[in-house]
Amino acid sequence: MKIFMKSGIRSTLIILIVILYLGIFLILPIIHVFQKAIIDNTGFTLSYLRALFIEPRQFNAIIKSLTIASLVTLCCLLVSVFPAWLTARKEFPGKTFFSGILLVPLILPPFVGAVGMKIVFARCGALSTLLYKLGIVNGPVDWLGTFPLMGIILLETLHLFPILYLNLVAAFANVDPSLEEAALNLGASPLRVFKRITVPLASPGLFAGLVLVFVWSFTELGTPLVFGVRNVLPVLIYDNVSEVGTNPMGYAQVVFVLLFSVAGFLISKNLLQKHRNVATLGRLSIIRKEKKIPWYITLSFYILFGSIVLVAVIPHISVILLAITRRWFLTILPQGYTLQFFVRAVSSELTRNALINSLILSTGATIIDIILGFSIAWLCVRTKIRGRNLIDSISMIPLAVPGIVIAFGYLGLFSGGRFTGTWIDPRINPMYLLAISYGIRRLPYMLRAAHAGLEQTSKIYEEAASNLGASPWRVLKRITLPLIMANIVAGAILCFAFSMMEVSDSLILAQTENYYPITKAIYTLMEGLENGINVASALGVWAMALLASAMIWASCLLGKKMGQMFRAG
Amino acid sequence: MSQSSPYTIEIFNLVKKFGDVTALDNVTFSTKAGELFFLLGPSGCGKTTLLRILAGLEKEDSGRIILRGRDASSIEPYKRGAPMVFQNYALWPHLNVSENVAFGLVERHIPRKEIEKRVADALENVGLKGLGKRMPAELSGGQQQRVALARTLVLNPDVVLLDEPLSNLDAKLRHEMREEIEKLHKNTDITFIYVTHDQVEALSLADRMAVMRNGKIYALGKPFELYHRPPNLFCADFLGESNMIKASVMRTSGKSLILQTPLGIWQAMSMYPSPPAEGTPVTCMVRPENIKLGSGTGNTNKFKGTVIKYKINGSTITITIQVAAGVTIKASVVNDYNLQLEHGTILECYADPENTVVVPE
Repeated sequence: MKIFMKSGIRSTLIILIVILYLGIFLILPIIHVFQKAIIDNTGFTLSYLRALFIEPRQFNAIIKSLTIASLVTLCCLLVSVFPAWLTARKEFPGKTFFSGILLVPLILPPFVGAVGMKIVFARCGALSTLLYKLGIVNGPVDWLGTFPLMGIILLETLHLFPILYLNLVAAFANVDPSLEEAALNLGASPLRVFKRITVPLASPGLFAGLVLVFVWSFTELGTPLVFGVRNVLPVLIYDNVSEVGTNPMGYAQVVFVLLFSVAGFLISKNLLQKHRNVATLGRLSIIRKEKKIPWYITLSFYILFGSIVLVAVIPHISVILLAITRRWFLTILPQGYTLQFFVRAVSSELTRNALINSLILSTGATIIDIILGFSIAWLCVRTKIRGRNLIDSISMIPLAVPGIVIAFGYLGLFSGGRFTGTWIDPRINPMYLLAISYGIRRLPYMLRAAHAGLEQTSKIYEEAASNLGASPWRVLKRITLPLIMANIVAGAILCFAFSMMEVSDSLILAQTENYYPITKAIYTLMEGLENGINVASALGVWAMALLASAMIWASCLLGKKMGQMFRAG
Repeated sequence: MSQSSPYTIEIFNLVKKFGDVTALDNVTFSTKAGELFFLLGPSGCGKTTLLRILAGLEKEDSGRIILRGRDASSIEPYKRGAPMVFQNYALWPHLNVSENVAFGLVERHIPRKEIEKRVADALENVGLKGLGKRMPAELSGGQQQRVALARTLVLNPDVVLLDEPLSNLDAKLRHEMREEIEKLHKNTDITFIYVTHDQVEALSLADRMAVMRNGKIYALGKPFELYHRPPNLFCADFLGESNMIKASVMRTSGKSLILQTPLGIWQAMSMYPSPPAEGTPVTCMVRPENIKLGSGTGNTNKFKGTVIKYKINGSTITITIQVAAGVTIKASVVNDYNLQLEHGTILECYADPENTVVVPE
């Protein structure tokens, strides 16, 4: 009885803190936005929401955004399923390295990548010139003019497939291999085993990953902006928010995105619920041994992983080239190289500060997310406390909310009224709110990752530990966390990487140069001086290097423990 | 199923290494059609690896596997037709009981009507009638075990592989299932390859068995033979209780040896391939139940000692008797109220030379 009381108090305390935090930093800004969407000078009105489906411009933008999101999701699935399965199921030399470099695309802010790709795809850019010299086309081709969505879909796929890959590796690794062996043993070919056993059992992780990618690309702002595609929903919102006080359509669009995405996540949650019985058997003992793989198969793995990475790093390479180039026009590769932009990128106070600021902010946001994400996942999966599903749904809202909305909500809430001039006022010091907004924005990734890990790990292991005398805290440390460490690390890498490249919050919240994060500095440079795009690219390269080292470190950590983590015996 | 050879499975010189560890070291044996064949050994002896190689789930480093007269090495696991009952059952948690049982039939493109009938029959056969709609998580351990068994039997196989099928069950259930497997074996002509570490299971069920250790087969034969005529000390020790008596050879006459032991002069059957020379130090083994109370009729194989303690097993009672300093013998006798067992009681005992064996290392 006493134990029940104690665990009740603990969960209650955790849920109260979570509610308070989410209430202030997530719900209040959204309520602010809702208010503006349905209340105008005349009082309550739904005319703005209705206009979304009546005005052709609005409706076309919605359709276009959904098309982009669907195609990006499909492409990501095609690219990541097989490599993820290989990573989870096969041993081959260099596996850690190859599964590590698949994460490389995550190290570049997509809008910086878009700048590079714009040069590659330009009318007189590298691709046109290459095809012209090969005799495939007769003259310059305006790729982005002719196929405006191609660039967006390509770039977003190349940037987002690692998210799905990470989710899938964790999902596949959590499927007990003996379940697959049993199917093989009873006459199912490897392809049938994959379809009938592996995919259904991995479906919580698989579906979570698909929803993440879909909503990410549905609400992506930077890429279409740089490619000059204006009639997609996120850009419409962006345009409207900049003329805030005068046009409430932006708020209506935000509310639509919000409702649409929340619906997607509710369906996903329902599917997970159906699979709950899957988790109850827990992980069984697993015999895992090195399987010898012939060299030619290993080689074909290398070629597969290598070619995916090669295509995925084209934006990165183009950005690096831009950073060291003097002139790049009507040639495949740039003419003349220089390192001056790198020096300029670190010599100025603006850029040096930006690098330090971004590191501090991303670390802070990641720590907030690990604590918050794990606590919420734990409440949802392991307790029956009232309101846990509501908290879970609320925590997923940021996926559906473009950073602009939260950032504007923050700006409105915390720089006015009673907060004016206090420590949290972003006009005084935006660092706190930047870290909080980065954290809020990426909380869903952490939460999904931790959630899926707990879902797929039986509670029996925790019960066994507490039965053998471990206190709840010790059970957490010795059993729960080690078992789902793969998921937590995956979530943390995502949080950190995406915080480093967070665009919209940074653009809006950081008002003074002292507090610019990298993305805002890059954006400022791009708009600015004559060689601004080169200096911006150079700063982008510095950011890439920083992120790359963070990711290598994380994947080394994961690599060393990979064996233990994915084995339950 | 018609057989081109009297053997369902033949294995020659099988070798399997995991890194530096040799899991299987030159293993050779064959099983006759319809036989209940046991692989018995302590954990880590390679028996499960052997089973997994038979199923095609591991690839052997070298050696040959002949399945139904055909070389099986290159047959994909899903085409081997050697269904297996996994130790953890490996029931698919997203499929209900019927779907689990129907799995292999679906893969074999059996018509739906027939699948339904065969699944229903299979469930009835293992005593799970009416539980088809349950999910695996809603079943007890014993029921899960039955589903795992039904899932293989529904395919009408000629070979079934069992990997420690009873190890996760409680004693009573284990006993029940053991009898059911025996019945199943009697009523079908399926060849069962049964892996276990439980010697009682093996001795009571097996037609023949292989005793394994460190990847090697230490003994191969019928349980009765191996129990009474173990070819080596490991086998003698692993199969049941034993008294090991240090002795030296005095005289040899064919298979029979005269020994000098701390208990006196003993006569024993030699398990050495060739008679050991006189004076050779040897180990003489006699099972506790073959130590009888009384003076016996012969001149050898007898001793006197004092009772140190006793243990009641139920129908039998095991008495520990001290013969000399550091030499104790265990005797298992029928539990009887007339027995005098106070500490220090002097007992006279004897053993039949036919039940006394000299076992090589």
